[in-house]
Amino acid sequence: MTRWKNPQLEHDPAHAKVQPRLSLVGRRRWWPKLRGDGDELWRRVRYPFTRRTVLRVRGEYNPKTLARERTIVDKRPIWWLIGLTLLAIVPALVGNTSLLSATTIFAIYAAINLVWMLIIGTAGIFSLATLAVVGAAAYGAAYFSIQFGLPWWGMIGVGSAIGLVFGVIVALPAIRLEGFYYALLTLGLVELCRVYVVQSKVFGSATGGLYGADTYVPESLQDTDGAVMLGYYAAFAMLLLALALYRLVNGQRLGRLLRTAREDEAFAEAVGIGYNRARVQVFLISSVALGAIGGFYASHFKGVSPSIFSMDQLLLMLAMIVIGGIGTAEGAVVGTLIVVLLDKMLIEWGPMRLVLIGLLMLGTVLFTRSGLFGIKAQFRAWRERKKSERRAARTEKGGEVVPEEATDIQDKQAIYYRRQDKAIRDYLKSLVTDELIEEHRRKPLGQHSEALERVLNYFRRGPVPDKYAVMAIKPFEAYRVVALAGRRGVPPRLVDDRVYPTLDEAYHAVFLRRVNDLLES
Amino acid sequence: MIDGYVIVAAITLASIYGLLAIGISIVWSSLGMLNMAFGFTFAAAGYGAWFAAQQFPDSAAAVLAGGILTGALVGAAVCAVAFLPLHDKPNFTVRSLVATLAISLLGTQALLATFGPRVKPLPKIFGLKAFEITEDVVVTADKLGAVVSSVVLLLLVLAWMKTSRRGLEIRAMMQNPEGAALVGIGVRSTAFAVMAVTGALAGLAAVLLSQTYFVSPYAGLLPLIKGLIVALAGGLGSVAGALIAACLLGFTEAATSAVLGGQYVLITQFALIIAILLVRPRGIGGLLDETRE
Repeated sequence: MTRWKNPQLEHDPAHAKVQPRLSLVGRRRWWPKLRGDGDELWRRVRYPFTRRTVLRVRGEYNPKTLARERTIVDKRPIWWLIGLTLLAIVPALVGNTSLLSATTIFAIYAAINLVWMLIIGTAGIFSLATLAVVGAAAYGAAYFSIQFGLPWWGMIGVGSAIGLVFGVIVALPAIRLEGFYYALLTLGLVELCRVYVVQSKVFGSATGGLYGADTYVPESLQDTDGAVMLGYYAAFAMLLLALALYRLVNGQRLGRLLRTAREDEAFAEAVGIGYNRARVQVFLISSVALGAIGGFYASHFKGVSPSIFSMDQLLLMLAMIVIGGIGTAEGAVVGTLIVVLLDKMLIEWGPMRLVLIGLLMLGTVLFTRSGLFGIKAQFRAWRERKKSERRAARTEKGGEVVPEEATDIQDKQAIYYRRQDKAIRDYLKSLVTDELIEEHRRKPLGQHSEALERVLNYFRRGPVPDKYAVMAIKPFEAYRVVALAGRRGVPPRLVDDRVYPTLDEAYHAVFLRRVNDLLES
Repeated sequence: MIDGYVIVAAITLASIYGLLAIGISIVWSSLGMLNMAFGFTFAAAGYGAWFAAQQFPDSAAAVLAGGILTGALVGAAVCAVAFLPLHDKPNFTVRSLVATLAISLLGTQALLATFGPRVKPLPKIFGLKAFEITEDVVVTADKLGAVVSSVVLLLLVLAWMKTSRRGLEIRAMMQNPEGAALVGIGVRSTAFAVMAVTGALAGLAAVLLSQTYFVSPYAGLLPLIKGLIVALAGGLGSVAGALIAACLLGFTEAATSAVLGGQYVLITQFALIIAILLVRPRGIGGLLDETRE
């Protein structure tokens, strides 16, 4: 008496006689899923009075389980919330005031870089005049405060006004000049400011800076830890304002116009975008903002020194946005964080810390397309390329779907159809013999052997596009073989220039072509 | 006001500016890269010349050769780091600009860390003689030497570019980089040649300028800026334009420092450049640029 054996075990992969060779298969992206019960699926949190959602969420039905689930498409707002919350509680986390003042400098530079990013990233104009605007506004504000007793809030106003004037000055050549001419011109402008300030008596050439301006820290708090704390929160507020400005300009109409013009000026012009006007607008907006930051800078440090115009400072700022990645707000902030921390933490390294930052900048620009925050996209693109290379090396025409390809095919039915088709063709190939072809030649129509009948049946149900057919040029006299186009209105194409005198010979020519295709696949 | 003294100063400045600007201009037009590490090449070549002067204190040729060789080596190194890995990558122009700026940052700081912030003098390679042309115009030997050697080297380089095989390749790259690549001109080897030659020019300029100023890590900044703005005003890629601009700006600088005072030099130069660029947005000789695209 034999024991019952489960027949399905034969198909179990673990018990298969031939183990399939597994190769590395690129994974599909994994998204964390949220449950979407009831109307949760379609509920969105929006900013008040707008249609804008706080979080981009996609509601969908799981194709396998049909469960309702939500996917967070863009997780950046969550990271921003976590990061800004951490920044808000930094004074409680770091005990010593030196670290806190380094973080304060980070916040000021991050605000400057965010505004700069509007020009260099959104508008795509390689302007290096940022520090010239900030420095000029800081010098002007400090000068007015020292000479005429301007209070700190007045310094910010004066700074904005000087920024506006500077904005007009730097915006004019920007319209006329092309990218690199402009970069060089602005580089020279910074040097011009530095040389002027260093040599001018009015701006403190003798004392190495202009100090003694009014500050927003009240008298009672001077030289205490409270002053450092207040300074930090003031700078943090500046950073938040700069972020809001970035969002307002980059995320709205003006930013979209500028980004279109950045990609292709001729196209932008053709679709009716006045990009010169948009560029002047962004220059004026950002210059006023930079001027305000300059006024704040002067009132924060109670003055300003010529080192703000130095080439090293400019290169450090450039390193910040390059390391973070040109074109993103998070790049500006995180790049600033990295560079400021390296600069202030490794102060005992002397010049070598700037060498390190320079190496970091060089490595970033050599190996990444757009900084730290472009790495993810660049890695994905690289992986996709590798995946498709590997797929191309392993796929055969009309063969079974390889796993890499299968992950990309939405209609799973197609995968199983191709597997079945492959199996049938492998079987039919074994049936094709010389006798079979001879049998068909003798009698293309009528009753056939079982093998020929199977082969012909397979040919009959083939898809219409590129299916071979017989065309009568002159009935009972001349026939030719054609291939159907498979599309309405497109005539069949001739496949060769042979003309067959009888219909049977034409049938057999079609049969031979199909057999040939079958054996080749 | 405009006397012989101003003219002599203007010619000296113009020859050195021409040297600097042509280096930047050739690199831009043949490689499509703005070499912001030019200032670093300049400073490093100054130290190379200083090192040569330490080894051979009496030989003027050794000092010149030290500067020029160091300049050429540093130029080739910049090419290897900033041009070769990037020249076939997307967004090449911006990335190479940032890469050369990074080299300029780290190179200057490395020089600072190695040699310290103290400036180093170079020996007077042209001696201390002075020639009287008229009763109030005295030309010192270092000025005469600077003018003569920079004009000689400039003419040599231009003649080399006109006559030699390599020069032909460089000019082909300047006219049409893709066409040059199609007819079999090696982009990489030509790039090395271009960067080495322009580095050598910067090295010579470093030695000549250090006759008046000193060798220091930051010595390259002002020459870089001057070279850039002269190349800019002359039209990037145009040798003749760069020479005209060098003469114009050299004269402006000499006249300004004689009439208004030294601190207004950059301001008048900038006013002049902005005026030039507003009239001709691609510089004096920048007509070819339209066809470069």
